[in-house]
Amino acid sequence: MIEVIDVHKRFRGRKVLNGVSFTAEKGQITCLIGINGAGKSTILKAIMGLTPLKSGMIRIDDAPVGPAMYEKVAFVPDHLTTPTGMRLSEGIQFMKDFYRNWNDVRANELLAFFKLDRTERVGNLSKGMAAKYSLLLGLSQDTDYILMDEPFSGIDMFSREIIAEVFSTDLIEDRGVLLTTHEIDDMEHLIDQAVLLQNGSVQLAFDCEEMRTTEGKSVIDVMREVYTG
Amino acid sequence: MNRYLKLVNMEIHRFRYILASLMVVTLLSQCGSLIWTIQRVVSAKEKGLTQAEVGFAIPKFLSFPWAIVNTKVWFILPILLSITVLVLYSMIIWYRDWFGRSTFIYRLLMLPSARWVLYVSKLTAILTFVFSMIAFQLVLLVGENMLFKTIVPAGMRTDSTFVEASTIIPVLDTLLPKQFEQFIYSYGLGIIGVIVIFTAVLLERSYRRLGILYAIGYSAACVGVILSPFILGLDRSNSYWYPSEIYTMELAACLLISVISVCLGFWLLRKKITV
Repeated sequence: MIEVIDVHKRFRGRKVLNGVSFTAEKGQITCLIGINGAGKSTILKAIMGLTPLKSGMIRIDDAPVGPAMYEKVAFVPDHLTTPTGMRLSEGIQFMKDFYRNWNDVRANELLAFFKLDRTERVGNLSKGMAAKYSLLLGLSQDTDYILMDEPFSGIDMFSREIIAEVFSTDLIEDRGVLLTTHEIDDMEHLIDQAVLLQNGSVQLAFDCEEMRTTEGKSVIDVMREVYTG
Repeated sequence: MNRYLKLVNMEIHRFRYILASLMVVTLLSQCGSLIWTIQRVVSAKEKGLTQAEVGFAIPKFLSFPWAIVNTKVWFILPILLSITVLVLYSMIIWYRDWFGRSTFIYRLLMLPSARWVLYVSKLTAILTFVFSMIAFQLVLLVGENMLFKTIVPAGMRTDSTFVEASTIIPVLDTLLPKQFEQFIYSYGLGIIGVIVIFTAVLLERSYRRLGILYAIGYSAACVGVILSPFILGLDRSNSYWYPSEIYTMELAACLLISVISVCLGFWLLRKKITV
């Protein structure tokens, strides 16, 4: 379980995260929802140790954030993290060299599934193809958790469908997924837990299925109530 | 160890074209100017022209050090260019991972190994580039000496030692010291300089706007500490301190700055760095 406990962070005098607390369970898809600047990406970066916190604690399966965690948690940011001069195959080789959890068979399957050309240079990828490549690098690690920052951002409808398809496969099923997205329409039927953020604080965290059955509200209905009053 | 070597290999791989370009520029500039200088004089001597007729000095016998001195600017320029590029790259080696379409620093900081490995691998890569250029210059000097002997007829030249040639230009003399002790001083100070640059960059990357001030302040403090015996006038002949004591102070200052810079750099990477 990923535990985010009373996390605070300031940036240029502004409180970016103001006592954020929530959990993301293994085997579930948890979605961080919020308008721009709500602190969604900052939370993911903080979990991955990519930005320091003022106070608070992040624990993954009861252990603090550290180098060993990177074999357990994969992160798919909303942009490329492989040098643009590298070919896709070289980027994959880099991952294979450094991560013990790298699953080469799965990487090859995903290359075929996403129709990516391994000889292509990373810098030549379109936004959609770059998103698929980032997803490939994240999903090809045998990790317990995977964090995704805006996996659908700026991607065409067909690429979005292909990426959404991944969420209903066994590539995701057994893992804990924590993602941020604006494209809630595409994801609503897949999400287990929703965490609504506003001004760096958690406004509401709920079980989507429970909300549907007990109150008859969709995630979008709840978002409207929270964000538009 | 394995991951460290792989990171070093990757850093060298990423700089290979620039390093090769610097070598080519050095080769063309030094050899080109050497050939032009020697041929001009040999041709004048063969035609029996005097200094007044050609407008430049014609020595009785040509030597390799003489040829180097007379091609001075074109000999030194590529060396200075290489030094400038390597100093700038000591900063760019970090910044290139943050900027551009791909932010590779995300991946590097998420590697399942201690982050100080990243620091050490970048430092190793810079040192490898420096010593590669030095080795290339050494080989080039040998080649240029052979070129000199090929172009200048035996009757027009005097033989000289390799050391004479490398001593004649101050930059070469500093880069290729004759004593091991001098080598340690020159390159030790160079390594400290790179470490201070690394720490300054990491301060800026950790604290951003405020970090620029920290980086400038830290770099100035380091220079101040290293130069402190001279600033305080301890090296003057009427000083209270013996030269050996001043030497020990200087050594301690260098060690102190190295240790503090490395520890601070590691700590920033572990605790404060932000992407």
